[in-house]
Amino acid sequence: MPVSGRNAAYERAVNDHFNDLYRFAYWLCRNRWQAEDVVQEALLRAWRGWPALRDERAVKAWLFTIVHHEFRRAGPRAARTDAATDPDDLAFSIDPASSVDVGRALRELSEDSREALLMQVLGGFSCAEISSALGTTQGAVMTRLTRARQALRRRLDPSDAKQVRRA
Amino acid sequence: MNCIDFRRAALLDPRRLDDEALAHAGSCESCGAYLAEALALEGRLDDALQVPVPPGLKDRAFRRAVDATRVSRRQALAAGIALALGAGTALLWRRNDPLALAGIDFVVFEEAQAILDAKPADPADLQRAALDVGVRLPGQLGELRYVGTCPFSGTTAHHVVLKTAYGKATLLLLPGRTLASRGVAVAHGLEAVVAPARGGSVAIIADSSRSLARIEEILGSA
Repeated sequence: MPVSGRNAAYERAVNDHFNDLYRFAYWLCRNRWQAEDVVQEALLRAWRGWPALRDERAVKAWLFTIVHHEFRRAGPRAARTDAATDPDDLAFSIDPASSVDVGRALRELSEDSREALLMQVLGGFSCAEISSALGTTQGAVMTRLTRARQALRRRLDPSDAKQVRRA
Repeated sequence: MNCIDFRRAALLDPRRLDDEALAHAGSCESCGAYLAEALALEGRLDDALQVPVPPGLKDRAFRRAVDATRVSRRQALAAGIALALGAGTALLWRRNDPLALAGIDFVVFEEAQAILDAKPADPADLQRAALDVGVRLPGQLGELRYVGTCPFSGTTAHHVVLKTAYGKATLLLLPGRTLASRGVAVAHGLEAVVAPARGGSVAIIADSSRSLARIEEILGSA
């Protein structure tokens, strides 16, 4: 692909998926600054690897996979220091208190479960796509998703949520 | 579908239930309420995940990637001059090895499907294949997460997915596939090495050179 064509295709992919990629990195790292590093490094790798990308239809899954690899590669640098209490990091939400509770519950999930859930909810990926990105089996992904939602349900009593909304 | 099956499906992904599950929720008051709660939770989850993206970060990340390549081009020019001065072998050494690159492509594009399509493999077969190739797979390599066989680069590879201390890694044991020398490749955020062994060769694909070096060291010392 000529450089200009590569540039345009890459820019389009970044425009289309950047917000989800950043949020994926944010919830993996649980820290804004580390997420910025991870997503920037991931996009640099994606740019370098772009000529080898065979199927541009799979670009979203490919980019998520690179972000996940970069998070793992960062290892201790992406230490899970929870900094989400920074008001700037609160989600755009009509119910900020609910977002804080859900964020806290997400942080309490095991890393495996949280990764799978984030890929499904933020990326909209199937279990097969998630298993490929995380390097595990589809069955393991199904188990992680089930455990994640069970834990969230236990942590966030839905009846409380209804009362908050009514109030 | 019974209530237990329905709840399993709803825990997996309440927004992608099939017709049968939706019909069950429509006819079972308890499961209908369960689904309503599950969808409400998904809505809260969606809201919470939408953390604000730092202003300007997208442009910075994009420019950094593209500009890094421009720097690389300048470096390549300098390297070209160095090549003319007799340092060409260094560049040749850095070229991606085709078999190692095929290993990375396999992991990125085909591994998931290979795992889905595979029949359960007997770990004893893997040990036999390792012996054929001339390597051993000691426990210190990491946790075996998947073992199977798959087509790879015109041959049948024994496909192993490991969880190591440094992250996920893939091994492809290639009995009978002899190599003259070791080769390396870097692509898609992954790194790979193919190494000759007594009865074939081994491809190792991981996301860091540290992980690759550790696995290669263990295989070499086994």
